Amino acid sequence: MTAARCIAITGLETFEGRGLAERLLEDPSSPRIVALDVRLPSELEGRVGYHPLDLSEAEAGPRLAEVLEKEGCETVVHAAFLPRPTPDRERAHELEVAGSLRVMGAVASAGVSKLVVISTAQVYGARADNPAYLSEEHPLRPPESARALRDRAQVESLLRMFSERHPQIATLSLRPCWVVGPGYESAALCHLSAPRVRLPLGFDPLVQFLHEDDWLDALVLALRRNVRGAFNLAGRGTLPLSTLLRLAGRRVRKLPHPLLSPATSLRWRGRTGEPAAAFYAYLRHGWLVDTARARAELGFRPLYSTREAWLSRFVGQRLRKYA
Amino acid sequence: MSDLQELIASVGALRRTLEGRGEKAPRTPPAAENSAEASASVDPSSAIFSRLSNVDPARWLARLRERLPFPVPADVSREVDAFGLDPPYLERARPLLDFLFDRWWRVHVSGLDRVPDSARMLLVANRSGILPYDGLMLAHAVERGHRAQRRPRLLAADKLMSGPFAQPMLRRLGAVRACRENAARLFDEGEWLSLFPEGGRGALKPYRQRYRLQRFECGEILSLALRRRAPIVPVAIVGGEEIHPVALRPEKLERLLGTALPLAPTLLLGPGALVPLPSQWRIRFGSPLEVGDLDPASAEDPLTANRLSERVRAAVGELLEDELERRDSVW
Repeated sequence: MTAARCIAITGLETFEGRGLAERLLEDPSSPRIVALDVRLPSELEGRVGYHPLDLSEAEAGPRLAEVLEKEGCETVVHAAFLPRPTPDRERAHELEVAGSLRVMGAVASAGVSKLVVISTAQVYGARADNPAYLSEEHPLRPPESARALRDRAQVESLLRMFSERHPQIATLSLRPCWVVGPGYESAALCHLSAPRVRLPLGFDPLVQFLHEDDWLDALVLALRRNVRGAFNLAGRGTLPLSTLLRLAGRRVRKLPHPLLSPATSLRWRGRTGEPAAAFYAYLRHGWLVDTARARAELGFRPLYSTREAWLSRFVGQRLRKYA
Repeated sequence: MSDLQELIASVGALRRTLEGRGEKAPRTPPAAENSAEASASVDPSSAIFSRLSNVDPARWLARLRERLPFPVPADVSREVDAFGLDPPYLERARPLLDFLFDRWWRVHVSGLDRVPDSARMLLVANRSGILPYDGLMLAHAVERGHRAQRRPRLLAADKLMSGPFAQPMLRRLGAVRACRENAARLFDEGEWLSLFPEGGRGALKPYRQRYRLQRFECGEILSLALRRRAPIVPVAIVGGEEIHPVALRPEKLERLLGTALPLAPTLLLGPGALVPLPSQWRIRFGSPLEVGDLDPASAEDPLTANRLSERVRAAVGELLEDELERRDSVW
């Protein structure tokens, strides 16, 4: 176990980037942080080294390499991914896939020893023929129409090729299931915590949630431990979706899924640029992940169960409402 | 305290405005100290209305649902195990399963004493009937009759575990999609599994092919049982073919529509076709398969897997024919 002296984080605007920076700043023994993003969140100003960088630009790669070399960074955390799909897919592709390639190129040329990439367990895809628990070796089969997730799967395959080509660099990809918490927002959470939740009729998949604190803990562990490869992350236990919605007091409106997608499609497409059917697959079929590897190698011990993680979102909302 | 005074003041103000407009004043919310005199002064007609306004059909329905002797999809599970088995749901389904087992199909069970008491086990049976009643009855027979009182989990075909309605229900009753990864995980947890290697091919075959074993799929689960040294117990289930007799499989139409279309004469009954016919069932357990000559280390070898699969198939077929002869009547 080698403690890095300097950690570079791309994407400080994302939950993962900012959360990890704050988590590291809490600990005085932790290394120096170099932040790379188009802008720096105001609460981090003056506490981290900052270099402006837009990964969707072609010259970002050499610039990043220069910064990494100058600062002597040993570890790079690549978190510059959009938190939800956007209608502007060209720019998103440029940022996520081409941007990741630029990061990988810079990492290879600047002598960095570790690259941690934020991924998601949704890249496995929710398919009827999934096993109950997906292991890290399972092929990545995101829905055909989910372009954002296909981009993320492409990043994963690029990363795998990169790590084969550069065995001296430890590459990690972290694949959390749906993250939930008072401070976390995503398209899925937005759909599931609406007062009336539209669901496919006749399906009730088992789901997992990961609390945002456990997620940041796992990120810190990934920096500290001398490991490589992909890691699934999820909270303890699993519950049917219907149970979770009942616990949160959501009302459910069920429609046969061929009717469901057209019913919400316009709104969904307007917000994400993708057909709603791509998302509803995740409410029909199971995509539970097996976290055995993260437990054994990362020492990942989630404090929150799926139920507690899910409810933490609503407790937070209630407090905010009456505060 | 000041909140309460404010509330009282605002109710008073509201009342004065309403009286000013010549309308009837709303009844003040009965506070704790004057509730007695308030109820005494209420006239009977408004009492009826207030009682009527308390009627909550949703609550009545919920109470009715709780008293039903069988589970309904609206019952939300509390805790489930890692594969979605919902023990309270199973408990609620038990009276219905008991009824089907004892009264409806009068299941005759034999050979359970030959089934060993091992940590993990694979029960392999012939598949029949469209819906997986055979799996449920097999689990019921083992749980009630075997000394270990364990309930084997059903490894169900993809078709059942991916379609709507059947999937959540079967999952809550303990079914798991039949695939290698799931079986491996369940064997690790020390579960008993029941497998129907004919899959949909056996479930949807026309009536004239009844009790004729189809090709075995799921060879890798059989190999896995060999590798994990789980005893493989052949089981014959007689009676399941008659519960939803399929008269016809219109192949051309099926190809056109891209789905299986088992045409059963009971479909003329409309939704009544979902009720299985009350045939007489016999479940017979064989001795665990002799696999001493097969090497567990080479279980994934196609030749070994094929020999194992053929041996299991022969054992199930033999039991099945034997049991068919013993049955004196279909009903």
